[in-house]
Amino acid sequence: MTPGTLFLVAVLGLMALVLVYLYRVLEGPTVFDRILGLSGFGTKTTIVLLLAGAMYERLDMFVDLALAYALLSFVGSLAAARYFERGGQHR
Amino acid sequence: MTEIVVAVLLGGGLFFHAVAALGVIRMPDFYTRLHAVSKAETLGVMLTLAALMVWSGFTLTTVKVGFVAIFLLIANPTSTHAIGRAAMRTGVKPWLRPPDTTE
Amino acid sequence: MSDALVAVLLGLLLILAVGAVRAADLLVAAITLGVYGFVMALTWAAIGAVDVSFTETVVGAGATTVFFLAALLRTSRRRSAAPGRLRLGALLLVTAVGTLLVVTLHALPPLGDLAAAPSVHVSPRYLEGTRPETGTPNAVTAVVADYRGYDTLMETVVIFTAGLAGWLLLTREP
Repeated sequence: MTPGTLFLVAVLGLMALVLVYLYRVLEGPTVFDRILGLSGFGTKTTIVLLLAGAMYERLDMFVDLALAYALLSFVGSLAAARYFERGGQHR
Repeated sequence: MTEIVVAVLLGGGLFFHAVAALGVIRMPDFYTRLHAVSKAETLGVMLTLAALMVWSGFTLTTVKVGFVAIFLLIANPTSTHAIGRAAMRTGVKPWLRPPDTTE
Repeated sequence: MSDALVAVLLGLLLILAVGAVRAADLLVAAITLGVYGFVMALTWAAIGAVDVSFTETVVGAGATTVFFLAALLRTSRRRSAAPGRLRLGALLLVTAVGTLLVVTLHALPPLGDLAAAPSVHVSPRYLEGTRPETGTPNAVTAVVADYRGYDTLMETVVIFTAGLAGWLLLTREP
């Protein structure tokens, strides 16, 4: 099996696992589960992007993008958590 | 040889990602789901990125992938901790074993 | 392979868009839109538009989520009362525009077509001129920061001024 096929299998597997986080984002039950889904989505997309970059043999270009992804997913989850710390209404 | 190492690392990473997903779908309450994501997923990410680093050899790209790995190693537990603390302070109750199922 | 990945991503986008519109809670809608931004950025990357993907990540997934959350913190999470009955005129207009777009879709060149008008008109000039004229490895960056540098500078000034004004308005003591 060539590395390209290997990465393709990994990408497809991760895309299947993303559905679990999609369920948590759409169904909850609490709003924190949705934030957890957002954070999980951010991490998964970072990894999928890097694997796709390796698959296209353009990892050098995709790695900068992945760094921005990781950073913004972190910022997004922190902002969502801060919303409640700063006294945003629950319910 | 490199390919075998890459395959093993990728397989391990995928396994831990699957464990995290299983936890997210099957655990009984928010805190236990958070626990699954913060530990299992971080390990899965590390193994996957290690596979990519082994695959691309000694280049600048490898160093950048290493940066992504270090950043995620810090950021993933930090953000899950922040979400968990926010949930605790907002008054989300942790799940306890129902009393009638003891013994 | 790329086609299968793009199809999966587009399906995810559709589900997320419907979820964001149908959410009863505005905070949930904002979080769903953040996820939508990530999937959208991944879609751009999958069809090879890496620079667009970069912008989508920063604007769609990062800035928009944070701004929505900041706005919700200062206002309310509750959305306005349930919308009234279906407006037939609006539905008709939306359907007509959608049909028009789908019907005219075949006139667009296929993805990555080297003979299409955009690929033969000005693109070769920049793709061939970028390296000798500016020394920048990325052609898109060269166009944005070198060939139309003043334009970008003015855009930055406009966005900076708008951000400053918004910050001053929002941090004012009531």
